[in-house]
Amino acid sequence: MNIIVFVKQVADTEARILIKGDQKALEIENKYNLNFFDEFAVEEAIRIKETMKDSQVTVCTYGPKRAIEALRTAIAMGADRAVLLDNTGLEADDPLIVARVLAAFANQDGFDLILCGRQAIDDENANVGPMAAEFLGIPHVSAVVKLDAVDGQVVKVESEVEGGKEVLEVRLPALLTAQKGLNTPRVPLITGVMKAMKALIPTVDPTSLGVPKGEMEHNASKAVTLSYEPPQQRPPVKIIEGETPTEKVRNLIKALKEESKVL
Amino acid sequence: MPNDVLVIVEYKDGGVRKVSLELLSRAKEMTSESSSTLYAGVIGYDVKGIIETVRAFADKVISVDSSVLKDYRWDTYVSVAEQLVRKYNPSMVFGGSTVTGKDLFPRLAARLKTTIISDAVGIEWNNGGPRIKKPLYGGKIISWLTCKEGAVPVVTFRPNSFAITNRSLNGEVIEESMEIISDTRFSILSRDKGGAQKVDLQEADFIICGGRGMKGPENFQILEEIADIMKGRVAASRAVVDSKWRDYDDQVGKSGKTVSPKVYVGCGVSGALHHTMGMDTSKVIVAVNTDPNAPIFSYADYGIVDDLFDVLPALKVELTKTKKEI
Amino acid sequence: MNFSLTEEQEFFKKTVADAVDRIVTPRAREIDEKDEFPWEVWREFTRLGYIGLRYPEEIGGMNADKVMCMIFYEEIARGSVGFAQSIIMNILMGTYFIFRFGSDEIKKRCLYPAMRGEKIATMCFTEDQSGSDLGATRTRAVRDGDGWRINGTKMWITNGPICDFCTVLATLDPEKGLKGLNFFLIEKGTPGFSTGQIIDKLGCRGTVTGELVFDNVWVPYENFLGEELGKGVYYVGDILDEVRLMTGAMALGIARGAYAEALEFARKRIAFGQPIGNFQLIREKFAEMDTLMNAARLMVYYGAWLLEKGMESRVIAAQAKMYATEVCLKVVDELTRIYGANAFAYEYAPQRYFRDARFLLYGGGTHEVLRDFIGRTIIGRL
Repeated sequence: MNIIVFVKQVADTEARILIKGDQKALEIENKYNLNFFDEFAVEEAIRIKETMKDSQVTVCTYGPKRAIEALRTAIAMGADRAVLLDNTGLEADDPLIVARVLAAFANQDGFDLILCGRQAIDDENANVGPMAAEFLGIPHVSAVVKLDAVDGQVVKVESEVEGGKEVLEVRLPALLTAQKGLNTPRVPLITGVMKAMKALIPTVDPTSLGVPKGEMEHNASKAVTLSYEPPQQRPPVKIIEGETPTEKVRNLIKALKEESKVL
Repeated sequence: MPNDVLVIVEYKDGGVRKVSLELLSRAKEMTSESSSTLYAGVIGYDVKGIIETVRAFADKVISVDSSVLKDYRWDTYVSVAEQLVRKYNPSMVFGGSTVTGKDLFPRLAARLKTTIISDAVGIEWNNGGPRIKKPLYGGKIISWLTCKEGAVPVVTFRPNSFAITNRSLNGEVIEESMEIISDTRFSILSRDKGGAQKVDLQEADFIICGGRGMKGPENFQILEEIADIMKGRVAASRAVVDSKWRDYDDQVGKSGKTVSPKVYVGCGVSGALHHTMGMDTSKVIVAVNTDPNAPIFSYADYGIVDDLFDVLPALKVELTKTKKEI
Repeated sequence: MNFSLTEEQEFFKKTVADAVDRIVTPRAREIDEKDEFPWEVWREFTRLGYIGLRYPEEIGGMNADKVMCMIFYEEIARGSVGFAQSIIMNILMGTYFIFRFGSDEIKKRCLYPAMRGEKIATMCFTEDQSGSDLGATRTRAVRDGDGWRINGTKMWITNGPICDFCTVLATLDPEKGLKGLNFFLIEKGTPGFSTGQIIDKLGCRGTVTGELVFDNVWVPYENFLGEELGKGVYYVGDILDEVRLMTGAMALGIARGAYAEALEFARKRIAFGQPIGNFQLIREKFAEMDTLMNAARLMVYYGAWLLEKGMESRVIAAQAKMYATEVCLKVVDELTRIYGANAFAYEYAPQRYFRDARFLLYGGGTHEVLRDFIGRTIIGRL
């Protein structure tokens, strides 16, 4: 089975993010990781490969040069190959464009199954998976928490839906987005780490995949970021005083009613 | 000001979801200034009750009622939504950034080959275009986006982004029937609606969250009781979920759910960064902790420094009284 | 001149840091508090294969260069010194002489299982009356039939009480001082080999450190680890720079852990209505700590680079060990000031860093001995 995993390199949750002077751009501390949810996707792909002979796991990202590090992480975990679709000088954020490029790659490379994280933790969009599936004309299942690769033709999955879970059977080719709970991503063994350190990761020019260049340039996106701003600062905490716990609680409820008017 | 807006309505257990009423309320404010039409799209089976509720909020309610649409599936719902957008030609499509919304709207946007802005928390109209507010990096940054002229964006909003205003509009109901295309390549074998009676964590107005300071799973009972009184939900910190005291479904934080209730009460939650990132957009944050130096107090509006197990019973009593007053 | 890590080394650092933060860091507090060998963490971490870090790929190692080794030592110590000390003993000193001089049979029995984490290794230098002064070693080996008879007691042995085998420094003739020293392999279960007192340590808890007793232990001739008798002290010299740089890297790791704790606190802790990081005297501490840590880092990695290139590194390795450890002590001290009174409570992390940092004062040479060595080397024989 040919499995492609779409991944994204995202800023670490602890990374410092500063807004540049003109409020039009961000300065992000150089701490990046393979997206939290993508790790589940990579892990699941490797598990399928371990149970189904002649499977191949290809990891692919549409990102800048530094994203090679995230691809190496996937190789260290056990992916067979990785490809960087270098987006330098191209639109990087519009999900419509990102999904088109990834779909074009998958289409050219060939696949039976595509996995990706439920969402990226930087923009929390959860768009690219279902959108790429639409461009490829294949079914998708979001937020998968259990996967049985029944055979090369059909997969049985459990996914998180509003207020519960759903069990589905999906004919391949299909795209699945991975939710936390699907598995526990492995910590790479040094054999994997060494393989990843030595791996040559090819860079593919996204404009060679058949999407017209004009449709992936910066100005091609219909969504435009106007500005960035810091979130509103909260005023300092008011410690509620009182002789007894009950008195404190009474004073709290008074404040919630009269000051912040939320009760 | 925008031209017509279409809100795709979400409902659950026979009732319209709050997020949809919020979107309708905000969209109506915007469309009424430009004398445009606010459409509510109701897709489903046997949705008369839903239509009745929604009528008060929209100028026109377009319903597509078919047994094929009984249960949500992206294929049939995208098929219908696509046809509604093409026929009614709104300038924007609004939806909720919910579990279902995150499944449906990207696929819809891709089918329409239109731009999507998701997980927004606000929208304004400015200089002839929308200004859409969207948090990034777990709320560390707020971005403002707009769309180029001629774009028909799909915009999804987090629950609790807007206030609900019932204008008793008595909107016109248009019943549409159309060919609904379903995808035979996948089938739903079973559905488990465990916990369906509970308020969705992301929609709850009141969240009481237990941290490691709760000392054990058995102590969450009182949180459940308080949540019930407030018709809210119990949440948990990552430490609690990692210790298997609560399900992952309850987890608030960077690797769990992002919530913005009206009131968030953290009980024995230290306030680690990965937790606060998932709740610091709450309207009012209350923290109860014995440690006056717990980081959560840097995020809280109100704090009680005392033993949880003395405070919680008192809180239960006092909130019960409050509810009786209303 | 090139001071940057290669892309591969950067990736290695990130991968090790990630493994440490998944497996070790979350349990650092527990390791310290229980002060028992953390078998579960050990199994989980050693499974990854890092014990083979320094050894050739053909025998299951990673053939890491010295810079990568330092990266590893630094990251693992950042997670938990108690754990780091145990695993580094298996990686470096505990297996070095066996890898270098052991017969195929000995390697099969000791080295390879140790690389897999299945056997615990250690090396014994220190005695009650000899630490930095190796020439005062009293543990004695004498020829006896086809092998050696060994008598003596070793103190302060990392992993000692739980080791499966140990490389023991013993003298053939106390009169010869340094020139009488040789290494011998002694395995658990050998008659006369027993463990004595376990030391209740101030820091680096979780590493089991204690006494080893050799009472008329007999081992076969091939357990002599070396090419030539009397060369033991030269063999020590061959590994000394790496051990000292390793200690410096561990100091950097502890300092970074403490620094991160301090930084998070300074950014979040509100006093007088603002984060304390806004106050000049707090900022000054970060300016100082960061400057010192940068200097220490340059020294440790410069030493590793020299060592890797096969260039003279004896003085720089001594300086790096001493300086990085002093910097670490300074950083943990500042942490306990920035953190306020809570630093004094066992509930919070600063006290652990404070205790752990002091552990590094002694291994690889006390700073008094090192300073004397450095000064003596500079001034030369007059």
